[in-house]
Amino acid sequence: MMETLDLPPVLDLVAAPGLLEAFNVRRGQDLAVDASAVQRLGAQCLQILLAARAAWAADGQELGLKAPSTEFSAALELMGASPAQLTHQATTGHKEQAA
Amino acid sequence: MQDPMAEIRATFFQECEEQLAALEAGLIAMESGASEAETVNAVFRAVHSMKGGAGIFSLDALVRFAHVFETALDKVRSGDLTATPRVVGIFLRAADVLADLVRAARDGGAVDEQRTAAMAAEFEHLDTPGDAVAPLAEDGVGSWEIVFSPRAELYAKANEAALLLRELGRLGEARVTLDTSRLPDLEAIDPEGAYLSWNISLQSDCDEAEIRNVFEFVEDDCELTISRAGVSGFAPGTVITGDNGFKFEFFAPMMEEEPEPEPAAIPATVQAEAAAEAPRNAVVEAIAAKAESATAVSATIRVDLDRVDRMIDLVGELVINEAMLSQRVMEAGIARASGVAMALEELEHLTREIQDSVMAIRAQPVRSVFQRMPRLVREVAAQTGKQVRLLTEGEGTEVDKTVIERISDPLTHMIRNAIDHGLETPEKRVAAGKPEEGTVKLTALHRSGRIVLEVADDGAGINRARVKQKAIENGVIGTDAQLTDDEIDNLIFLPGFSTAAKISDISGRGVGMDVVRQSVQALGGRISISSRPGLGSTFTLSLPLTLAVLDGMVVSARGHTLIIPLGAIVETLKPRGQDVFPLDRDTNLLALRGGYVPMVDVAASLGYCEELLEPEQGVALLVEGEGGVRAVLLVDAIHGQRQVVIKSLEANYRAVSGIAAATVMGDGRVALILDVDAVVRQARSEGNRVDAAAMEAS
Repeated sequence: MMETLDLPPVLDLVAAPGLLEAFNVRRGQDLAVDASAVQRLGAQCLQILLAARAAWAADGQELGLKAPSTEFSAALELMGASPAQLTHQATTGHKEQAA
Repeated sequence: MQDPMAEIRATFFQECEEQLAALEAGLIAMESGASEAETVNAVFRAVHSMKGGAGIFSLDALVRFAHVFETALDKVRSGDLTATPRVVGIFLRAADVLADLVRAARDGGAVDEQRTAAMAAEFEHLDTPGDAVAPLAEDGVGSWEIVFSPRAELYAKANEAALLLRELGRLGEARVTLDTSRLPDLEAIDPEGAYLSWNISLQSDCDEAEIRNVFEFVEDDCELTISRAGVSGFAPGTVITGDNGFKFEFFAPMMEEEPEPEPAAIPATVQAEAAAEAPRNAVVEAIAAKAESATAVSATIRVDLDRVDRMIDLVGELVINEAMLSQRVMEAGIARASGVAMALEELEHLTREIQDSVMAIRAQPVRSVFQRMPRLVREVAAQTGKQVRLLTEGEGTEVDKTVIERISDPLTHMIRNAIDHGLETPEKRVAAGKPEEGTVKLTALHRSGRIVLEVADDGAGINRARVKQKAIENGVIGTDAQLTDDEIDNLIFLPGFSTAAKISDISGRGVGMDVVRQSVQALGGRISISSRPGLGSTFTLSLPLTLAVLDGMVVSARGHTLIIPLGAIVETLKPRGQDVFPLDRDTNLLALRGGYVPMVDVAASLGYCEELLEPEQGVALLVEGEGGVRAVLLVDAIHGQRQVVIKSLEANYRAVSGIAAATVMGDGRVALILDVDAVVRQARSEGNRVDAAAMEAS
């Protein structure tokens, strides 16, 4: 079963190192990110989420996004990002790598 | 100890009321065609100040709405939007919404969020063809390209790029594109580093300084490039005329001062560090605006009303004391030509002057009341589907604050009434050969020591046949009553009288002009109506200028000194025996120019004695009570007229029926001021004796 990473409500500057650490320890496996509790998302945590997606794609692992809260989605949109930029389907990833 | 914040908050709301008044006044001026920069600036400043203050108290809803409003106003200010009647109309309604938000923030009430949102949305469509630059905006005019790259310091100083983007979004429609090209691998990433940057395409008619203001506190901690987008096709000076006749002239933004070798297409790309000029300009402008408004208000100070009232009380005491001193001097037999008497006379003059000056402190122009009326007119017009134009005249007419506070309700009702009942529907007006738009004129003026307020409409006038029929139906008059036009018109002041065939939300419900008349009379005022069929009606209110002093006739009734308000007295006469006709044991009628008027023995009605005064031994005063009802008051003697300082009986003792208030005479004795209406009403209804229980029941 895919592991789930529950994002904390506040993803600000202070939360960034913890978030980075959380991804680093879960490297190499499929992962679902649960964003249902997120109330605030700042640019620095967004950087980590984006970098994580790139890493998971590079690894050919699946990275999913579960139940993003309204606040989470709104913050993404505000910063010009979309949920699709945070997820990676393993199969597509392989194809990409193949290409 | 009072919370200092609460005090500041109270001041803020007081200022808001002033700003709202200024806002409305400015918008109304714009509505009537005033488009000079000063008017528009004043309107803008009003909204801007409210926004600023609201921000301090975290009144978010207010700030948000004020911001959109301000943005729209700024477009007018910068010439990007023409203040057409439609636009000003939207602004006026927005001012109403803003007023509601202010009051909700102050009193903790709820606001109609839907209305606020709808209004805010309406601002978005201000630029629709016919009014502004929207068609051209698609071509890039009013577009800004902003490149924003935060450095790590920005985040380290607890700033957040997301919040800045949100602020930017408030300036207009922002299309945000995220640039992740500098994002390192997850392994290499510093969680506190800054790798993201944004390209923002902003559709807004704001100027560069406004955009820079968003980044005001982070300019040193980011790379910021702001440039005009999409104007490359047009050199400065290019004039585009739209289908609707709208003209737009291109100019080089922020560079009007210096001749610019390159066309406007050159983006005003400036590094954040080097871009201090624009914000500085904005700051200078803001300071200048502040100084300007400071000059405008520096001539006034805010004083707690209690202090003024205390002073008025003291001056009242001084007047009384001075009168007492005069009397003592006279009693001492000091010659009129003596130095003491002359000094005393000077003192008297001085006292009067002080009294007048102190009264003037409380005097305020009726503007504050008049300013509420345009909104009322708009709302009632919308409810009734009528087109109404409100004209006001004499807003500067001054009257005591207490009177101001209490004329608002009667005026509101009269204006509602004028629109709802007075004016015809647009169709009927056209059929009658009148312009579709009806006019309601509100006038204030001083006339013989009173303030006169007139509400005139150019409607159909009073439908006398209908009023009379209604009065007969209600049993107010007999079927065979012969009434003059004037008498018929005055029937509408009777309780429960409403002629509108359709009971409306606005002025139906049986609460009608009688309520207006009551509140006016409670102020010592009178109301009358004149109406011409097909041409309209005019309601005239006449009120005393102040409720603190009164011109009265000093009379005596069985040894008691009484004051009868001069305003109520029509004439004084010496009754002759043959003109007096006894009606019953307690009541006499006086034949007066072919009519009969009930006679009231004042002393008996107040319970000073049982025995009635022989009419021939007394003096009669013909008085007019509410609704023009007349009676003759019989007293022993008249001692002259004088201005008296009113002392409330309710506050100092308790309410006494038949007595309006009290005053202190020169000899130090208390004299009662007669409540003419109560006495007359009593005389008309039952016996002569004013009975508290009967009074309350009536």
